[in-house]
Amino acid sequence: MTVLQLTPLTRVEGHGRVDLILEAGKLTDVRLALEESPRLFEALLVGRHCSEVPALVCRICAICSAVHRVAAAMALESAMGIVIPPLARGIRELLLLGGHIESHALHLFCLILPDLTGHASLLDLARAGHPLAAAGLELKAFGNRIQALAGGRPIHPVNVEVGGVLCTPDPDALSALAAESRARQAGLETLLGIFCRVENYPGHAMAIGTRLAVASPDPLPLWGEELVLSDGRRVAAAACRELLAERVVTYSHAKQSGSREQPLLTGALAREERAGEGKMAGFGIHGNNVAQVHELGRALARVAALAEELAGALPGEVTLADWQATAGIGTALCEAPRGLLLHHYVVDDFGRIARADIVTPTAINQAALEAQLLADLQGVSDESELLERAGRIVRAYDPCISCAVHVLKVV
Amino acid sequence: MSTSTPLVCGFARLTSCSGCQLALLNMTADLVPLAARLEVVGFAMASSAADAGGALDVVVIEGSVSSPAHLSTLLALRRRADRLVAVGACALSGGVNALATGDRDALVASVYGEPEAVDESFPPQPLSRFVHVDLEIPGCPPEGAELVALLGALARGGLPAGVDYPVCMECRQRENLCLLIERNIPCLGPVTRAGCQARCPSFGVACEGCRGMVAEANRGEEFRLLLETGLNEREIRARLGRFGEEGP
Repeated sequence: MTVLQLTPLTRVEGHGRVDLILEAGKLTDVRLALEESPRLFEALLVGRHCSEVPALVCRICAICSAVHRVAAAMALESAMGIVIPPLARGIRELLLLGGHIESHALHLFCLILPDLTGHASLLDLARAGHPLAAAGLELKAFGNRIQALAGGRPIHPVNVEVGGVLCTPDPDALSALAAESRARQAGLETLLGIFCRVENYPGHAMAIGTRLAVASPDPLPLWGEELVLSDGRRVAAAACRELLAERVVTYSHAKQSGSREQPLLTGALAREERAGEGKMAGFGIHGNNVAQVHELGRALARVAALAEELAGALPGEVTLADWQATAGIGTALCEAPRGLLLHHYVVDDFGRIARADIVTPTAINQAALEAQLLADLQGVSDESELLERAGRIVRAYDPCISCAVHVLKVV
Repeated sequence: MSTSTPLVCGFARLTSCSGCQLALLNMTADLVPLAARLEVVGFAMASSAADAGGALDVVVIEGSVSSPAHLSTLLALRRRADRLVAVGACALSGGVNALATGDRDALVASVYGEPEAVDESFPPQPLSRFVHVDLEIPGCPPEGAELVALLGALARGGLPAGVDYPVCMECRQRENLCLLIERNIPCLGPVTRAGCQARCPSFGVACEGCRGMVAEANRGEEFRLLLETGLNEREIRARLGRFGEEGP
């Protein structure tokens, strides 16, 4: 038996490694090890006042900081029966849309595009004067500007607190944002076409895993009260932790949801399939990139409409509900750019956190990712090809290893 | 260091959220003009090019040290690098993860079930506890412009200017309304190191002190002003302690 190691995993967010186990030159098993050191977020929250939680948990992950912050606020609002003003809801939505645009553009241009063009990094592409490099970065910067306008800054935004948001963005800046978002929709096809050509991807099996997505009437779901699965099940927020029951796997850091036999798949591909979009068919798991392309279009359209609407907010309109801490239990379901994010808190009589649980999309996808590696790499025996293709499969999931809050030992 | 040879830079991340590297990646467009003066080795988040392991003019390190493996990485980078730059709250003070205090095994068990399941780790430590740090760039996250200025200065053989005044200075320069005095909002601007151009107060949100305490901060007076905003002592201590600083 030989173990082929892909380490470090490059062009992904966080520290990770893939082990490919070969018997007589044939791939027989794979292991994805997420190598982040424990950061113990769920433990450090215990005993702290609930109002501190949003600012602390956004530090779980830089790329997903906005959605962590919103999910935490929503779970606590649900626990304490707080109803937030409609304007706050709109500003939060704008923040999350900015996060989707930034994260998808980062993934597609900085992490995936170098694979499609045979470069080591986007910086090399930029040096070579590739036209998509600058345009891709501009789209990513646009996502950041949306987050800065709605959240105060692009990484670890400060505007979202329990009860709503603190400030309303400047109406003129919102109108300008709406106009820019509309203008950007026009050039999208030329910019993103390269990600939607099947010949740009290696051979693959079908995308593996029971799809799950937040149930929502919106074309781009961002949050909701229940989950919809591709096998027809619907699961209410309060029961989702059971569905996603995480278990320790001895060789990796993150706890896993699902199993090799019954893996779960969350993310853009699951969301777009749920929305009835069929253009990802035939791409296998690389269809997740195609789905992100479609979501970028939906997000830009929604930003244009929403920013215009928010620009019409009345001067002095309330953005923060009056609330008092009470005991309670709350769960929030959000769609992070890379899939379902669950935050769950128990608040005690003093408004302090008694228990916290956070389930991230990368932990949910881990079992499916391993199964996909095994399926896609069947019959490949050349070692450098195995390693190169394994990297590309992992990247297709857009994993966020920092986010995998539960970090476990690599044996 | 000659200005004609490129600056050989390494980027490493220990225990953190990747936010400091992302702040730099967010500035890529500004880095393109600098690209000819930079030779980037070992930036796994952005590039699949391998790190050959030679001498570095500068290594930029994000994150705290929380495991023996990190410590080895840190020591190896210190040996290779002419200059070592600690970037972000985690590298400077341990960051928000340092709030997980108490019996480490019990904390790990509360998250993972059993402490044996997890690799050996210890409470997050700042880099300066183990190695000489040449430069510090604070913030959670640091400002992208500061990171570009850092690389630009180093590439020209110089050092970026340090900042030793509080956020209030920059806030006043921007002619903002004072959140603390005029709106009674618990802002940490008076005791927090500047350099962010008072980003959060300018947006209308209180400074949370993510850049750490400024030298000679008037902690006693800040504590009194925070009491006047209606926070109790416990809440004030929690706020002042969020980024690894102790209260008065």
